Amino acid sequence: MNNKLNQVLKKQQKQISEPEKIEDDIVQLVGFVIGNEEYAIPILNIQEIIKPIDYTRVPQVPDYVLGVFNLRGDVIPLIDLRSKFNLQAVNQNEETRYIVLKGEDNTAGFVIDRLTEAIRIKKNRISPPPETINSDSGMIYGIGKRDDSMLTILKVEVLLKRDF
Amino acid sequence: MDDIQEILEDFLVEAFELVEQIDQDLVELENNPEDLELLNRIFRVAHTVKGSSSFLNFDVLTKLTHHMEDVLNKARKGELKITAEVMDVVLKSIDMMKELLESIRDNGNDSDINMDLTDICKDLNAISEGEEVVQDTQAEEKVEVEAKIETEAEEEIDYSKLSDAEVEAEIERLLVQKKEETKKRKEKKKKTEIVEVKKEKTPSMQAPKPVAKKPASDAPVKKHVTSAVEQTIRVEVKRLDHLMNLIGELVLGKNRLLKIYDDVEERYEGEKFLEELNQVVSSVSLVTTDLQIAVMKTRMLPVAKVFNKFPRMIRDLSRELNKTIELKVTGEDTELDKSIVEEIGDPLVHIIRNSCDHGIEEGETRILKGKPSGGTIELKAYHEGNNIVIEIVDDGKGLDPDMLKAKSLEKGIITEREADSMSNKEAFNLVFKPGFSTAAKVTSVSGRGVGMDVVKTNIEKLNGIIDVDSEVDKGTIIKLKIPLTLAIIQALLVGVQEEFYAVPLGSVLETVRIPLDEIYTVEGKNVLRLRDEVLSLVRLSDIFGVERVFDNNEHAYVVVIGLAESKLGIIVDSLVGQEEIVIKSMGDYLKGIEGIAGATIRGDGRVTLIVDVAALMDLAKNVKVDITAVSEEANKKKESPSDYYVLVVDDSKMDRNIMKKAMSPIGISVVEAGNGQEALNIIKSGEYSFDAILIDIEMPRMDGYTLASEIRKYSKYKNLPLIAVTSRTSKSDRLRGVESGMSEYITKPYSPEYLESVVRKNIKLLAE
Repeated sequence: MNNKLNQVLKKQQKQISEPEKIEDDIVQLVGFVIGNEEYAIPILNIQEIIKPIDYTRVPQVPDYVLGVFNLRGDVIPLIDLRSKFNLQAVNQNEETRYIVLKGEDNTAGFVIDRLTEAIRIKKNRISPPPETINSDSGMIYGIGKRDDSMLTILKVEVLLKRDF
Repeated sequence: MDDIQEILEDFLVEAFELVEQIDQDLVELENNPEDLELLNRIFRVAHTVKGSSSFLNFDVLTKLTHHMEDVLNKARKGELKITAEVMDVVLKSIDMMKELLESIRDNGNDSDINMDLTDICKDLNAISEGEEVVQDTQAEEKVEVEAKIETEAEEEIDYSKLSDAEVEAEIERLLVQKKEETKKRKEKKKKTEIVEVKKEKTPSMQAPKPVAKKPASDAPVKKHVTSAVEQTIRVEVKRLDHLMNLIGELVLGKNRLLKIYDDVEERYEGEKFLEELNQVVSSVSLVTTDLQIAVMKTRMLPVAKVFNKFPRMIRDLSRELNKTIELKVTGEDTELDKSIVEEIGDPLVHIIRNSCDHGIEEGETRILKGKPSGGTIELKAYHEGNNIVIEIVDDGKGLDPDMLKAKSLEKGIITEREADSMSNKEAFNLVFKPGFSTAAKVTSVSGRGVGMDVVKTNIEKLNGIIDVDSEVDKGTIIKLKIPLTLAIIQALLVGVQEEFYAVPLGSVLETVRIPLDEIYTVEGKNVLRLRDEVLSLVRLSDIFGVERVFDNNEHAYVVVIGLAESKLGIIVDSLVGQEEIVIKSMGDYLKGIEGIAGATIRGDGRVTLIVDVAALMDLAKNVKVDITAVSEEANKKKESPSDYYVLVVDDSKMDRNIMKKAMSPIGISVVEAGNGQEALNIIKSGEYSFDAILIDIEMPRMDGYTLASEIRKYSKYKNLPLIAVTSRTSKSDRLRGVESGMSEYITKPYSPEYLESVVRKNIKLLAE
């Protein structure tokens, strides 16, 4: 069992560290903006994107956990990415959205400033995050290079992991 | 292979059920050694297990049960007298049988645990041969039957290796064999039928007689009846859980419907269709409630499931401790949720052990005290509202509050001051403190000081309440109050500032409204004198860090919560009401947040958090906010008139300017909004804290009345001056204004001076 797991892990590691090998692999991402930066999340991890709805504050949690909201009968935590990235808080406006991410055993909503577009990017255009910023709790999966800009691709498993 | 697995599973389920029954029967038997029917039943259990285990090739188990069978057979024939010593051996062999069955369940065979059977077999043999009186025929016959079963079993397993021809021959042989067997079985059946008839007679004959006989004996009597014909199917618990979840959704839907109906009723008062809607809504809600109860019932098990193990436990304990103790069980048919049945076993074991060990005195001591030499422990279960109550009553020496205090002082559990101010009831509750033990020495039964702590934690986990009452030399009564089910509960909804929380109603003892000056401060803690009790007080907003907006209420609502043995008063801002709520988990991400047990979705679709009462009590200890002090703190000081903010809501720019101009002599800051919705957003954003709001009535998107009632929904704006500025002057308009929460009414046209003076008056900023 453990062996199998190791193999899978190794394989994943390989895919992450040597993306150039799989030349034609295209990743589909959804891009969004928080503060002044553009970020992206693999489309397959996104359950849905909704307009802001009322949420209920939960006590005894860090500031970036805004609370919980009702998504068609499920109670789902809401996390403010601005505050998680240590950015100044702003009021929600017309463009604010909640991105609901689904992980293996967790689902959570994330508040973003606005959506940009769906992005198709070749795997070989994604480079691993620079060593220096990787210490940042490993939230970053890689940096996607586009013709005129760069975008930070976030690691969904890390976003969905409770770290308090 | 799968077939074998299935048979094995059936065997295990059946065997465990039988074993559970047998324990009780055996203890019963010791009291009535002559009860032939009991003996027969016990014998049948041993026999059934033996038969099935030999069929499944569990040799060790077969050997053990075979020896047991011999002894029981003798007893059944009256050749062997059941004495306590005989019973010890038989009970021991039953224990080993349980162990073997567990091993089969866990490992798939009975040889892995390498149980040594020689001793017990020797003992069993000794007993059965002790009064050896011929009657060999019966035994031989038994062996024959057994042999046949065994051969059958062997061949069955070999099927896969047989050729076609051989299989056919085998089938033929089996058919013949089966015929013989059915013949035999028929004969047997006749016998059992006779027994059955007898069985049914016994209860009917006993029933009319009042409780003249031993009350303990009517428990098993009831059992017979149920075991005769029972129409049941086995359903996976998972399916029932799923069903329960669905019902939960339905309940939420129902709540929502009720809420919507209320809104509609308000808006369309007197309309004809309301009547119809009302009928539909109430019938849906009625059916939902019935459905919920019905599904809950499918998950219900009788407490007998737990109670059944106690007669045996008491018997063993009384022999071990050399006391005579009788156990009286009543209400074992009382049903409660499966998950709860599983949880209350341990606490009850601890309580009963304690009663046997510390409660009931030695025989001589009892006689000296003028009590019968044998002690009695009563175990009662009954319903009380939405709770089930389990009472453990012993007639032992009782709890001595002074002694309890002294012991706790000695162990450093309480301070001397605490001891002095402690009531008897509080002193009784000391037994639940971890590390507390009154036993002079640690015995195998108790004395380590963990047992009652376990009781407390387990009962708290179930949102239950423990109540202890005792009188020296008379006895002790321990009452466990446990909610019937865990998934859907009744809750009291409370409001704290703008937030709402649900408190499980089972933990709410009462709610009271008190003037703030009745709150006293003792040693830095806020307390309230409630009748003859002193209650610690804490504000819910302080525990949960709710943003506090000053509230100059002179009264406070106190929700008194009780859990296990402790009580606490929680101050909230409003009591919303009682509602049926469905507990939903908040997922892994927010699991285990202190003070929050889960969440629920209310009728309006919003999420409301459910308070974890046990954790709340712990959290409350760390809250160091003095309630009385804070309430004296006044508003933020406003130094110059420009620190005052007034919101002007009007869709006409010109009107806004007129109002602004009128107010300019005061020198206050003015914020503008073009319609109700915009105004509400500005207010909600919390950017400004307004001292007054001027509202036009006729506005697009949201009119002035709606805006006013929306604003009044926030407790922090309850007293905010809302001034209507309008040309609608009819009496009904004014009335509507008052209804929606307007505090002043200025009719257009107005003089600037008049507006100015009204604003000044309302923000209490008078001209010098």
